[in-house]
Amino acid sequence: MLQQIIALIVIAFFLSRLVWQKQKKQISPSEFLFWLIFWIIAGAAIIGLKLIDRLAADLGFSGSGIDILIYAAVVVLFYFIFRLRLRQEKTERDITKIIREITIKK
Amino acid sequence: MKIVNGKKVFCVIPAYNEANSIAKVIDSVKPEVDEVVVVDDGSKDATKKIASQKGVTVLSHLINRGQGAALATGNEYALKNGADIIVHFDADGQFLAEEIKDAIAPIISGEAEIVFGSRFLGKKSNMPWLKKNLLIPLAHLVNKIFVGATLSDPQNGFRAMSRIAAEKIKIEQAGMAHNTEIIHKAFSLGLKIKEIPVTVIYNNFGQRFSGGLKIIKDLFIARLIN
Repeated sequence: MLQQIIALIVIAFFLSRLVWQKQKKQISPSEFLFWLIFWIIAGAAIIGLKLIDRLAADLGFSGSGIDILIYAAVVVLFYFIFRLRLRQEKTERDITKIIREITIKK
Repeated sequence: MKIVNGKKVFCVIPAYNEANSIAKVIDSVKPEVDEVVVVDDGSKDATKKIASQKGVTVLSHLINRGQGAALATGNEYALKNGADIIVHFDADGQFLAEEIKDAIAPIISGEAEIVFGSRFLGKKSNMPWLKKNLLIPLAHLVNKIFVGATLSDPQNGFRAMSRIAAEKIKIEQAGMAHNTEIIHKAFSLGLKIKEIPVTVIYNNFGQRFSGGLKIIKDLFIARLIN
């Protein structure tokens, strides 16, 4: 129970940071929405941990619900790294374009 | 000006830290073409200075972007300055400048729109054993996977292309994967392709196995992005 409360406090902290960033216009509306949904789902998962425990058991996992959340987090993280790698490649291409433009215009 | 059959020939030489060989390469190439374009790819040595002293066009990348990026810069410059034929030539002295005329001849005659040099069509090259028997067969395999076709020498940097071919083939691979990319685009655009035998003098080993892996990774990522 205490762990759940701590987790919810952490989520509340990140949510407040998110709202603060939105007010300061440091993130785009779509990014705000994405992270808002992300933290709401995370909060819901913490509150409904018992439900996830049952779901994990029904799906045949031997671990508890929190284990499933960790598995899911790892999958999501891998996906983000992959997305980041693609974004980095696009940035590299843009840098090359800029360098080319400067080189030829000189 | 040395315009061959009314065709203005540009030679693009990408160079990264080639201070030891660039002067010799420029001297050998200069009589064979109308304009030599050295693309200094952010070299840390005197490549840019030496090339500038030779009285050829020197384009300089502020930072290193890779051989493919340098070739694309050279192509863009050549097209803007009225090139009819563009030759790609390495700066490390591994190719023979007198073979440029063999590379551009099929384009002048209309037999081909893009000509690739090959180490495996008769001329002698002192290729290291490992390269010949392991790395080149692997390069063939990569080309078959990514291009669906392969040439006798998929990693040869000596090539010539017509203006139209250069306009159509936009080199997007900044690193060494541009060899495979150019072949792929030449095939997919339905260009008239020809291979000619060229001599390669090995002053160093060139592309290593780790470099080969990077090519595969670059090609894979490009597939996901495009």
